[in-house]
Amino acid sequence: MPTSRHHPGGSAGRAPAPVALVALALLVAGPARAADEIVLGASVPITGVFAFAGVGIHAGIGDYVGLVNQDGGIDGRPVRYVAEDTAYKVDASVAAFNRITSQYEVQLYYGDSTAFSKTMAPELARRGTILMGGDSFASELNDPERFPYHFLSGPDYTEMFGILLRYIADQSPGAKVAFVHSDTEFGRDPIARGTEIAEELGLSVPITIVTAPGSVDVTTEVLRLRRVRPDYTIFHGYVLAPIPEFITQARQMRLRTEFMGTFWSMDNAIVQTMGDAADGFLGVMPYRYYYDESADAPMLAKIREIRPEYQSTAYMQGFVTAMLMIEATRRALATGEPLTGASLKAGLNSIRDFDTGGLIGVPISITGNSVPVGRIYRADAQAGRMVPASDWIVLE
Amino acid sequence: MDWLFLFEVAIAGLGAGGLYALAAVGFVVVYKATRVVNMAIGEILMLGAFVFFGFASGLGWPPWAAVPAALVVGGLFGGVVERTMIRPMLGESPIAVFMITVGLGSLLVGLVELVWSPEPRRLPAFLPDAPIFLPTPWGEAYVSPKTAYASAAALVLITGFMLAFRYWRGGVALRATATDRGAAYTVGINVPLVFATAWIAGSVAAFGAGVLLGAIGGISSTMGVFGLSVLVVVIVGGLDSLLGALVAGLLIGLLEALAGTFLGGEYKLLVTFGLLVVVLLIRPYGLFGTREIERL
Repeated sequence: MPTSRHHPGGSAGRAPAPVALVALALLVAGPARAADEIVLGASVPITGVFAFAGVGIHAGIGDYVGLVNQDGGIDGRPVRYVAEDTAYKVDASVAAFNRITSQYEVQLYYGDSTAFSKTMAPELARRGTILMGGDSFASELNDPERFPYHFLSGPDYTEMFGILLRYIADQSPGAKVAFVHSDTEFGRDPIARGTEIAEELGLSVPITIVTAPGSVDVTTEVLRLRRVRPDYTIFHGYVLAPIPEFITQARQMRLRTEFMGTFWSMDNAIVQTMGDAADGFLGVMPYRYYYDESADAPMLAKIREIRPEYQSTAYMQGFVTAMLMIEATRRALATGEPLTGASLKAGLNSIRDFDTGGLIGVPISITGNSVPVGRIYRADAQAGRMVPASDWIVLE
Repeated sequence: MDWLFLFEVAIAGLGAGGLYALAAVGFVVVYKATRVVNMAIGEILMLGAFVFFGFASGLGWPPWAAVPAALVVGGLFGGVVERTMIRPMLGESPIAVFMITVGLGSLLVGLVELVWSPEPRRLPAFLPDAPIFLPTPWGEAYVSPKTAYASAAALVLITGFMLAFRYWRGGVALRATATDRGAAYTVGINVPLVFATAWIAGSVAAFGAGVLLGAIGGISSTMGVFGLSVLVVVIVGGLDSLLGALVAGLLIGLLEALAGTFLGGEYKLLVTFGLLVVVLLIRPYGLFGTREIERL
């Protein structure tokens, strides 16, 4: 029973008295609910700078919860999905969390930014009743000691770099790799550790280029890149701009380098908007794409049945996160212990060789806070699609 | 010293500066005539890019039709905003009008997200994309074609604005209104019309800047953050000086390019805002602005 709400009480002041009274009675009574339901609350950015992803995430979580309820819920207990829009603002996210948790007994929560996850960590520890996933792949959250009730439904950004660098080391040992990142917390996340990993793999990182947020013209950055002539260039901390212009100018300068990206710049619809610049663009992706018709991906066929039009990688992220949360709940219930943050996390960490219905191409095990699995995809401009460029890479 | 590299960096910086200057003109024209600090300049620029996108991609119009159409919509937009939001506020506190423009910016982001969705997009290519290699004593210097054409277009537009202010009757009326609104009324200048003209011209400039900017960096509902750099440009140049907008635009473009190259991208904003502080300390009214003291 997916439920999405808007901020309540917007026009209550103008409502006629009987309507207001009924509304008040409803508020006092609280929303109707089944006694044994499992509640998945969510702060989702349906509007604002992250809305391009939030809309897909919201749909993905809602669809998976719908499927679970169709099959009778978790051991007969229905799942209720309650989401509120946050416009990708931490204060709005926290307010949404407070509203949802005060009206429902929430066991699972989807948070919408690294900052929100970090903000809520002490509160989750205090409550000890909630397991939190979200759209952040921040390396910092991948620390079970500091964030015991969090998890990432894919590799963290450093692990994404690890997967990309391992691919590079396999393809061209000793290659020169340039990092280009935005001057944001998101952009800086994997850079220092990524440089160390590159060196461990026998690669060199002769240049790291930082772009100011909102920068449009990147000519000076490409000129700097040209002086180094790297074999590979990894972008991180962007969704689209300024990647296409960067690639276009680099090709005009006759620079031979392979361009790569991380999760948030890898959605097929977004990559294809790069036009000619997209061709050959590589990147790491923990999930299969919507259109993948591999025989071992029955869940994708089901998604295509529910939604005949293309769904973004953000949709897959929401879908997989909900799947892992619900699997963790199922395992926690199976132990007979009460549902707490700790038992839910233990349930999650008991996942071994789990089949995601093919959304992730290999069976996954979750021993810590992340799922360090991914595959390199390459943009094929003719086909208009991202196509696999490697096998699934699992970091130990 | 690698002179070729330095030359290329400088050209790139001046190119980016041309775009700053064009958006700054959109701000300055409005401020000069109406004394309204238009905080929505970045969002108006974004709307311009999306309107062009709507014509060129949604309706499939060729660029030679879509660009003028977007500019016409920009003019209409400026006129409507002036008539419905700014003119009723005449005589109210400047803070109230300032807040209206802040609200307008927020409204435009919502509108664009409703109509076009918040996904980032690319504009259909309409600027020539064959790379330009300038011969120099040190070798062939690379110039990014899009930035070069976009900033050339920006310079043409700015020159047009400057000439209009100097020689066109409407432009002279606008300057007269800016200097002394009461006196302008008494000599028979239609001040409300001047206000409307300023908003129309300012919005056309912002729409033009949005289209050019979008052609380089793509468009998204968040591209309004560019407005922040534009504010720095207009404050450094002098809020009411077109020449100031041009000079400060080029200067800041050049400074950012040099800072980005020799210090690193993380220092770009630091240098820009550092310059802002220095200019405010030495010339609070900007490099070319009217010296005016207001006691609050």
